Amino acid sequence: MIMFDEVTKAYEKEHVFKNISFSIGTGELAFITGPSGAGKTTLLKLIYGAEGPDSGQIVVGDWVVSKLKQKTIPSLRQNIGVVFQDFRLLSNKTVFDNVALALSIHGRHHHEIRERVNAVLKEIKLIHKANVFPQYLSGGEQQRAVIARAMVSKPMILLADEPTGNLDPGNADVVMNLFRDINARGTTVLIATHNEGLYRGTGKRVFFINNKYIEKEYTA
Amino acid sequence: MRILRYSFQNAIKSIWREKWLNLLAVLSVSIGLSILGAFVIITLNLDSVLHRWSKSFGMVVYMNRELSREREDALEKYFKQDADVAGVKYISKEQALKEVRQVLGSNALIVDGVEENPLPSSFELTLKSELLEPAVVKNKAAQIKMMSGVEEIQYGEKWLSSLNTVSGAMKLGAVFLGFGIFTAVTFITYSTIKIFFYRRRDEIETLKLLGATRSFIRIPFMIEAFFIGFIGGVIGALATYGAYSFASLRIVEFMPAMKTNIAPMPLSAYALIPFCGAVMSIIGSLVAVGKIKY
Ligand SMILES: Nc1ncnc2c1ncn2[C@@H]1O[C@H](COP(=O)(O)OP(=O)(O)O)[C@@H](O)[C@H]1O
Ligand SMILES: [Mg+2]
Repeated sequence: MIMFDEVTKAYEKEHVFKNISFSIGTGELAFITGPSGAGKTTLLKLIYGAEGPDSGQIVVGDWVVSKLKQKTIPSLRQNIGVVFQDFRLLSNKTVFDNVALALSIHGRHHHEIRERVNAVLKEIKLIHKANVFPQYLSGGEQQRAVIARAMVSKPMILLADEPTGNLDPGNADVVMNLFRDINARGTTVLIATHNEGLYRGTGKRVFFINNKYIEKEYTA
Repeated sequence: MRILRYSFQNAIKSIWREKWLNLLAVLSVSIGLSILGAFVIITLNLDSVLHRWSKSFGMVVYMNRELSREREDALEKYFKQDADVAGVKYISKEQALKEVRQVLGSNALIVDGVEENPLPSSFELTLKSELLEPAVVKNKAAQIKMMSGVEEIQYGEKWLSSLNTVSGAMKLGAVFLGFGIFTAVTFITYSTIKIFFYRRRDEIETLKLLGATRSFIRIPFMIEAFFIGFIGGVIGALATYGAYSFASLRIVEFMPAMKTNIAPMPLSAYALIPFCGAVMSIIGSLVAVGKIKY
């Protein structure tokens, strides 16, 4: 589902990755870890086309992301749900409308949008905050709203960037269980985190990035 | 269609949120379009006046005084068959004298003393209005003057050429003004939409990351621009119509004879104003949003 082949990426002249290769299978749930500044966020950005590689090939589903035309980027992104590290909730829209936005972008019918959004907000236990604006939510609630937006369109792939960074351990478990459920329904899930507790004992693959390379790949 | 629903909701929200800026843009657009409307009406009216004048334009062909009645009849027949001539009016010597008497009124005694009528008979020819080009008229006049029995020919050569210049200048002015207003209206909407676009740049960045297509991002701005241009145009059209009605009332009040001379702008032209405003504004918004890069 996700394949990196000899990918090199640099910002200005500072290399983030040098010739990294790995692949993640359809329906897999995997983790990317490494110290802060190692390039976890950059790796996710390469997958949804927010950054381009300097060399190498990136394939996501049927898309060769490294050669993607501008026009094709929307269709790639419509198939990838992203839990952004900085949330990117729109402050002038309620929780409901923020989540609904992902479906409006897909051109879904408004009846379907209402049903889907309500269902997801119920599942994620945020339905009582549906008409609240993001700035009045706690960190954990905002985090869940972002996850709701990422999963509402049932994407092929879900990318999560430090999804438990702002959460206390109890909430982190809730969120992790959510990802497991999403994965169980067939979505390929890739989680970038430096929180070891999140993957320890899960039996999932972990990629440890450090110093421009994937230093270790192991099963947690 | 579904994208349109979302776009409309978004555009309406934005129009309301930025109501003062939008109002300013709408008013600016309406002022621009009113100026254009007023100019079009003035041009139409001047043109209709010119048209009327040129319709009454004629050539007076004076006959040789010794010309026989038969020859005059033959000439009249000839003029009537001429495809360039719209109307022929024969004025005999006697009629000419009568007219002179009328003009002189109580001073007509002056001509009473004259024994023989000194006036020639003449034809008043009206040319087809599409031939009222100075060069064409001049040609025609030269041609007629060559005919035997024609002594003299008079026509408003200077008038005709200056009317032509005025009408040409007005049309050129309309083109320039139209272009100027087009640029102004487009620019007004361009700046307004540019401000909205800039204020929403974070939101647009997020939309792009969520997979929004270019049209999804553009259409709300286009709807907003349409609103600015269309409403501005409606206000402009109403203002133009109001000003026109008021002005024509006042003109008729002062110069009742003008009544039949006032050329109204056809209603379809008023309907065209909001449409033009909308098109100009949408072009402005497209330039403002520019090329969307992912
Ligand atoms: N837009 C950018 N321009 C320049 N340097 C960047 C940019 N984004 C990230 N970097 C740099 O690339 C490296 C990797 O960053 P990032 O992918 O955010 O790491 P992580 O998510 O693992 O903390 C860091 O050194 C960071 O400073
Ligand atoms: Mg990061």
